[in-house]
Order: sequence, then C-alpha cells, then structure tokens
Amino acid sequence: MTNKMLKIERLLAVSALAGVIAAGTSWARAPFTDEELAEQKAALVESIALGYDLWHGSRADMTTNGLACGNCHPDTAASNPQTFPKYMTMYGKVIPFREMVNWCIENPQAGTRLDVDGDDMTAMEAYAFYLHRGKEITPGLASEQTTPIVVEYGTGFARTPTGIGVDTKP
Amino acid sequence: MSDIVDHSRRQFLSFAGKAGLTTFVAQAVGINLGMVDIVRAQTGKRGVEPFRFAIISDSHLYSMPDHKFDQQLADAVAQVNAMTPLPDFVLYGGDVAQNGTEDQLVKGSKILKDLKMPLKIIPGEHDWYLDMGDAWRGLFGDETWSFNHKGVHFIGLNSILVRDFWTGAGMTPLERMTVMEMLESPIPGPWGVHEKQLEWLANDVKDLAPDTPIVVFTHSPLWDYYPRWNFQTSDAPEIREILSKFDNVMSYHGHVHQTLFNRIGNMSSVAALSTSWPWPYPPVELAFPETRMNRADPSIATDGMGTQIIDLSGSFEGLVQYQPFEDSLTPFMRDGFKV
Repeated sequence: MTNKMLKIERLLAVSALAGVIAAGTSWARAPFTDEELAEQKAALVESIALGYDLWHGSRADMTTNGLACGNCHPDTAASNPQTFPKYMTMYGKVIPFREMVNWCIENPQAGTRLDVDGDDMTAMEAYAFYLHRGKEITPGLASEQTTPIVVEYGTGFARTPTGIGVDTKP
Repeated sequence: MSDIVDHSRRQFLSFAGKAGLTTFVAQAVGINLGMVDIVRAQTGKRGVEPFRFAIISDSHLYSMPDHKFDQQLADAVAQVNAMTPLPDFVLYGGDVAQNGTEDQLVKGSKILKDLKMPLKIIPGEHDWYLDMGDAWRGLFGDETWSFNHKGVHFIGLNSILVRDFWTGAGMTPLERMTVMEMLESPIPGPWGVHEKQLEWLANDVKDLAPDTPIVVFTHSPLWDYYPRWNFQTSDAPEIREILSKFDNVMSYHGHVHQTLFNRIGNMSSVAALSTSWPWPYPPVELAFPETRMNRADPSIATDGMGTQIIDLSGSFEGLVQYQPFEDSLTPFMRDGFKV
C-alpha cells in the first residue's frame, strides 16, 4: 500500500466518523419501542417477584429462627423504603435502606446478611419500593406509622406463596 | 406491676370524671392520645358482679428449642400471674403455634399451664391448617364454647374457617398450612365462622334476655378492617345481627397484633397485642385513630408486644388496659380506655 493510498483511507475513515457524529447530534436515538419497554418492565417484574419470594422466606440463610421479613412487614408495610437514607438508633448514624434490610436479617431473623450489591438485595429493594410506588420520598424519621399502597384483596402478587420462614421439623 | 395498675386506675377515674360520660381522654405514659368517643354501656337490669379477666394472644411459637418467642409467651404468663388483683380467668386469642405442628402446640400448652387461673382459648389459622385442628382440639378441647361468669355471657368462636382451596388443587397438608401462614396470601380468601357456628350461636343466645351482657371472643375482628390481611370475619354482619338484640356486646379479638378499638351498633371491638411481634397498621382510615400505637422500634426486641386486662364494672363497662412488655415511645393506652 502506498503512502498516498493510506492517506486517502485515513481521510475516508475520519470523514465517516465525522458523518456518524453529525448524524448522532441531529438524530438522537429513537425512543424505546414498545417491545423494548415491555422487556424492561418484564425484567423489573422478575426482580420484584424474586424480592417477594425472598421477603417470604425462600432463602434459608436469611434466618435461623424461622422469621422472614413478611412476619413483621406484610405487603412490605412499615418497611418505609421511601424514608431512607435516615438515622437509625441501632447504628447511631444515617444508613441506606439496604443496610436496614441487613439489620433485620441479622437481628430479628438471626440470619446471614445479603451482599449489598447482589441481585437478591436489589430484588428485595425492588419489591419494597414497588409496593411504595407513588409515595412521597421523605428521607428522615418515621416514628409515625407509614403504610404501603393499598393492595386490594387478591390483586397483589398472585404467585404461589413460599410461606413465612422455615421449620426445623418436617 | 400493682403500682402501675393502681396508678392507672386512679388516673382513669380522674379523667372519666373530668371528661364526662360520653368522652374520655386516653392518657398513656404522658402522651395524650386525644378524645375517644364512647358509647356508654346501657346498664342492664341484671347486675354484673365486677371482675377482671386478662387476654394473651398470638404467640406464634416455632419448633426450635429456646426460641425467643417461647420466653415471650412465658413473660406474658408471668405478667398476668403478677397482676393485682388476679384476673378471674385468661382468654387466649389464637395462634399458639406458627406452623401448626403438634410440638409447637404442646410447647404452648405447657407454658400456658403455668397460669394461676383458668384458660379459655379459641384457635387461630396458624394452629389449624396442618391437621385441620386435630392436635389443637386434643390439647384444648372444643373451639366453639360459651359460659356464664358473674352475670356476663362469654362466647368463643372459631373465625378462621375458609373454603376448601386445597382438595381441588391437590395440596398436601403442609402446602395448605404454608398457604395459610402468609398474611397476604392471595389464595385462601376471607375467613369466617361459617353456617354451623352461626346456627350454634343463634341457638346459644336465643333464650338470653336483651339486657344480658355479652362478650364474644374470636381470632379475627368482627368488622371489615382490612380483608387482604384477613383483618375481618366474612360473616361478622350475621354475627352482629344475631347479637343485635342485646343492649351491649363486647368483642375481643387477636390476629391484628396491635392496639385497636372500633364500635359498630351495639358492639365494641377491642384488639389484643401479640406476644410475638407487632403488625403495622394497614393503609385504611380508622374510626378511632387515637387508639393506634406508634410504629414499634425494631431495636427494642419486644417493643409493641404484651398482654391486656379488662375490668368489667357492675354496669358492664369495661376498662381496657394494654400491658406492654416495654416502656418505649409507643403509646399503649396503658392507662386504659373504656368500652
């Protein structure tokens, strides 16, 4: 290949790149298609459903005394995800919702904490936040009772219940 | 303990006098809960010999040895045994067990045997759906009962009956129990006492005069509170209709694990605290929101739990006092409210 040809090729490549940039700035990426949005929603629902199962005792190492999140927090009530980060007396500092989840797993449930960056923790968060969707975000104290959204009878997550906790006897 | 009760009683009388007959300022641990409208009990022709009874409820015992809930039930028993004066008897509001296994029910019955006074008990769904009440009946007897005590007619009903969702689905007893264990389970549908007990109830009260004071005791509330969590009894309207001829009816119930009061027609309704864990209030309006306790502090292991005592007067007025395990920011109406 001659030096002249190489120069021409470089010139063409630079021109093509400039063309792409120009097109990108004038034509932004098209909005998500309905199919893409459906895929994204399905991925969220899958995570929420996993969170629902975990919340109701599907993962054995989250408890040693049989208690699951759902014992005290049916429909995630009083978990108050929309009030985090906030000061919690058991830590003496401001903590995120994920840490509060792990506190409950390690203390009332006497279990092993979840990886805060893992898919299971994300799923727990997805479930709790989904049942508090539309609630005002109010970081801070929540000594008053707060509630999740109203879930009409039988219109919650119609999955097969996994039960609350585990029993040591068959 | 006796100091608290005596002090509370003095405060109650003081407040009742100031507030008059139709309203009462509920005062608890320095926190004013606001005004509670009271429909004053009609004084029946027949007198009630004043007495006290206690309620323990919802222990949810697990099978693990030395589980923390075992001690919490034992603490409730000790708390009731230490009351001055002693209650004449104790009502247990259901859910001795968590998973309905015989070992859990046996453990509960052993702890409850330490009570100094007689026990009357009705079942909860956690006691029932593994063997459809076989073990429970073997330990505690009939789940539907009535008795008279010092002029008051007491009635106990099994309010946790559901339609058969398991036979058609081919569920095992364990699967059936697992479905029933979950408060927000989408499968079982609303509970009730069902036709047979309604007939029994109608027959039980048919010869009683309208001025007979009635106390009816169930696991779930006899009003439509939050059906999704079965904070209801589906045939409560029929129960209220059967009992509508009476001047005054008091309904006491477990299941909701929280302080709660309501009144419909001639029926006052009072909820029991649990000895195992407190439940949050569902997202509905309450007719008497001032009877709501604060959200329990999870860092205090037994906050939001305890027992309660009811003192019935000669005119069938009840002073309800919640007896929490912990002193906390949670107002428990320890100083009582009148029903």
